[in-house]
Amino acid sequence: MSKGTSFEIPIGPQHPALKEPESFTFVVDGENVVDVKPRIGYNHRGIEKALEARTYLQNLYLIERVCGICSHAHVFCYSQNVEEAAGIEAPPRAKYIRTIVAELERIHSHLLWVGIAAHEIGFDTLFMYAWRDREVVMDLLELISGNRVNYAMNTIGGVRRDIQSDVAEEVRKGLQKLEERAKYYTGICTSERTILRRAVGVGILKPADALTLSAVGPTLRASGIGRDIRRDDPYGAYDEIPFNVITHDGCDVASRVIVRLGETLEAIGIVRYALEHLPEGEIKVRAPRTVASNESVSRVEAPRGELIHYIRSNDTDKPERYKIRSPTLGNILSVCKMLVGGYVADIPIVLAAIDPCFSCTDRMAFVDIEGEREWHMTGEELRRYGIKWYEAKG
Amino acid sequence: MPDPSSIADVLKEKLGAESVLEFKAQRQRRAYVTVGPAFIKDAIRILMEAGFKHLSTITGLDTGSEIEVIYHLGDYSNVVSLRTKLQRDSPELPSCIDLLPGASLYEREVHDLLGVNFKGHPDLSPLVLPEGWPSGLYPLRKNHTIEDITKRLDAPLNEGGQP
Repeated sequence: MSKGTSFEIPIGPQHPALKEPESFTFVVDGENVVDVKPRIGYNHRGIEKALEARTYLQNLYLIERVCGICSHAHVFCYSQNVEEAAGIEAPPRAKYIRTIVAELERIHSHLLWVGIAAHEIGFDTLFMYAWRDREVVMDLLELISGNRVNYAMNTIGGVRRDIQSDVAEEVRKGLQKLEERAKYYTGICTSERTILRRAVGVGILKPADALTLSAVGPTLRASGIGRDIRRDDPYGAYDEIPFNVITHDGCDVASRVIVRLGETLEAIGIVRYALEHLPEGEIKVRAPRTVASNESVSRVEAPRGELIHYIRSNDTDKPERYKIRSPTLGNILSVCKMLVGGYVADIPIVLAAIDPCFSCTDRMAFVDIEGEREWHMTGEELRRYGIKWYEAKG
Repeated sequence: MPDPSSIADVLKEKLGAESVLEFKAQRQRRAYVTVGPAFIKDAIRILMEAGFKHLSTITGLDTGSEIEVIYHLGDYSNVVSLRTKLQRDSPELPSCIDLLPGASLYEREVHDLLGVNFKGHPDLSPLVLPEGWPSGLYPLRKNHTIEDITKRLDAPLNEGGQP
């Protein structure tokens, strides 16, 4: 890159009202992104340190709050991790209930994402429809758990609430509606011109790069690689439930849309099957207060991909060490790869396409590398810039 | 499909019997193996050749007497947790990003939180800790309690802008 034509654009870090903040510095040459440097940690709350100072039971409530969207994925992963370290196992009915809530959470997360992705490309009608329909699954989660988010369904040794047959019937009715809508969105997203123009061939992640950078979840599967923890390293009730691992080989934003909508339909099928085959019996076993010296690695397929937790116990009622790696961190290097070589106008949708716990494009400084000029834009302005740029391009 | 339960034998065969310090196959699809720090990079390479190419993450851990670094490598189905133990004063390991480009952020995170120096990493600048965090304060070290950390962060700033 030659001096005077390349610019560094810091994007991020904060919008405290929305999701996880991150910051990216883009080196651009005209409209082209030449390099990307990520800087995360603006939302690093020291949870791993705090977990060491609390009991296993107290930590249930802290883990539930690691993420606002996939709270159940974290606490599902935590519960089975502590159970393995303590040498106990949740009863079959509890495993099915955990699985049902996990898949309902996936439906809500993916519909939320469809809305955000639509908004990023200026398709706000689709954004409103997707979020309206997401309310259906939010209501089902509230019906089961009493909460729209942070369901507090899990405890060490099982679940805290049962699913009765009248609730199951309501869930089935809701799934009917969600299935119709998910199919409708699949049709829209694979045929609507605005979406195709903004998504096909944008944000390419080749399969070899996805593997080298250890990408996870729908981001990996949209590069044609059929890996899914639910099938490959089964947990909960997934070894007893038939489902398909959805992949697509377009390696672009459009593929990530197709994979997530396909997964939404699969999730509906999983919940139906699990409700139909819900085993009778207890929903929890008694868990010891202290856990002997041990270690365990636990993984779940969260809506955004592989979530991994590691525990070291030490004969007390508190963990010696608890490590969490969320799927977004696993995909940061991949999204940097997708952005390099693309247009500035594509930054919002490509970032959104890994479905990061991320929303921080709200304040940006554009600085040229010799420091002679400096100006600021908000994330909203970048979004509008992207939409206008494509309008002008025709 | 690579078999995690045989991984200790593979490592011993290629690196010598003294390379593997501990091994356990805890359950189906989970293995834990400990090697000496001098063997870590060769061990990663051998695990990758055996098919464990997906790096889920790197865990850093302070037991109070030593620092452990654990590489969770897998093939999506299995997870092999490859561990090494380091002295608490100036812990150091070779960076593995030439073998595993996906390790870049995980090494930086372990560096931030536990002060492990990954030699050969091109950029160990803070990734998760905020700007102005006191240098040498590794929050996951056992000698720093939450109260100590809070106290240091509340202290007046020095000339370098650090508490």
